[in-house]
Amino acid sequence: MDGWKMKPVVLGIASFAVMLLAWESAVRLGWVNPFFVSQPSAVAATLSRTAKSGELEHNLAVSFGEFAVGYGLSIVVGILAGALAARFRTIEYALDPFLWFLYSAPLIAFYPIFVIWFGLGVPTVIALAFLLSFPQIAASTLNGFQNVNPGLIRAARAFGATERDLLWKVALPASVPMVISGLRLGIGRALMGVVVGELFGATAGLGYSISYYGGLLKTTDLIASLAVIVVLGVLSTQGLSALEARFDSWRVND
Amino acid sequence: MKLTRSIYLTAHNATSRLCAQRTLISTLAVAAFLAVWELAPRTGAVDATFTSQPSRVIAAGWDIVTSGGFLNDVSVSLAEFAIGFGLAIAIGVPVGLVLGRFPFLRNLLDPPIMAIYATPHLALLPIIVVWLGIGMQSKIAVAFVGGVIPILVNTTAGVRGLERSWIVAARSFCASSWDVFVKVILPGSLPSITLGIRLGLSRAVLGVVVGEMYQSQAGLGNKVMRYGSEFRTDYLLFYVLLISVFGLAATTAVRVFEEKLWTAGK
Repeated sequence: MDGWKMKPVVLGIASFAVMLLAWESAVRLGWVNPFFVSQPSAVAATLSRTAKSGELEHNLAVSFGEFAVGYGLSIVVGILAGALAARFRTIEYALDPFLWFLYSAPLIAFYPIFVIWFGLGVPTVIALAFLLSFPQIAASTLNGFQNVNPGLIRAARAFGATERDLLWKVALPASVPMVISGLRLGIGRALMGVVVGELFGATAGLGYSISYYGGLLKTTDLIASLAVIVVLGVLSTQGLSALEARFDSWRVND
Repeated sequence: MKLTRSIYLTAHNATSRLCAQRTLISTLAVAAFLAVWELAPRTGAVDATFTSQPSRVIAAGWDIVTSGGFLNDVSVSLAEFAIGFGLAIAIGVPVGLVLGRFPFLRNLLDPPIMAIYATPHLALLPIIVVWLGIGMQSKIAVAFVGGVIPILVNTTAGVRGLERSWIVAARSFCASSWDVFVKVILPGSLPSITLGIRLGLSRAVLGVVVGEMYQSQAGLGNKVMRYGSEFRTDYLLFYVLLISVFGLAATTAVRVFEEKLWTAGK
């Protein structure tokens, strides 16, 4: 069993290694122009240089700060809105068209209006991250609460559970997996908001640095920042997937 | 027979009453939002330069549509979207089918694909602009990259989720590999493929618009950025709403097709 599980991991690492090797050797052999594609060794050197000079740390800190505030806000507001909508049908029906619009419209197109409202820079980036991830979290929370087994609620009521007990002891634990899957999907959207917000107008951050180096045609520095974003995206998604599996483990399949 | 029918009808009536209530409350909420948006600047509570008003947006829309150049922007954006997303379907579906059939290839390519899936695809904009310039090619590429990954991943998942016994049954009735592919695998994974197309569609629309907002010479996203920097919120909002309506309409069309498929399967 273990052998079978190991195989995809080994193959996956091998495929990354082969890709990096092919990229490096294609440049070294002169098949492609490093001006456009850079090369892994140069990217690694740039990463270690920016790590030493504190540039990487600064960009990471700025982006992470914006992400944390925007995503944190969307967790609080999203879960609250989802829970209220699940409890009160009127709120659900009233919120529904707005949530649906926010969820499916290309919200990033609203970026210029945020700039007009909040000014260029950090607050706009936070607003974008919030607005992208909030509808996802609200929708998943609503979904999770609505799909709580009605038998469980009836049983709890029969044993004299109050409204408060129902929320804390039945609805919340039963909907945790859905909420967490909403949080996982929300991370990707919040990250998108931060990166795109910084792409358009910022003075620091990972998105800013890829846009800045892109403008200077310094592909090595651009790819170095891009690589950091890729790693962050993978790590955060994997982390939340692990959390999801953990919170779902108590559930028995019937 | 009669009893089940009456139970069914009661349930049906209750559902339709609930649906009517839902439509009423949703409509009221949207109407209230529009009313506040229209009236707040009139009372002087907020500055219309920042929020605009529904009436101004409509007036701006009329202005934009009747003046020249509008059709040019629409056709540039539509062409970028159609080519990029068309390529995403043309490449994503076949590659996804192959990856679904061959576990070795799948295990080999899964990690890089997942890495791209977890990355915000719009972060690739600057490098794509370095490679392809600020013309239509770079938007086509971004729309392609945004659309192809969900299509590929969902197609692969659809093929993997197929009942193995169907393939075995088809084979035992002497179906050739081609028959199995065309008559079992393709129709069986069609629901997942359309799901992937629906997910990819909104990412492709986003790619075109944000690509145009980032660096471009024409297109709807270009105008969004331009009117934004000129503080003309009414013009800006008209373009944003137009893009949203296009995205919603296209997604809804795919969703309707998807539901048809599911009911046809049953």
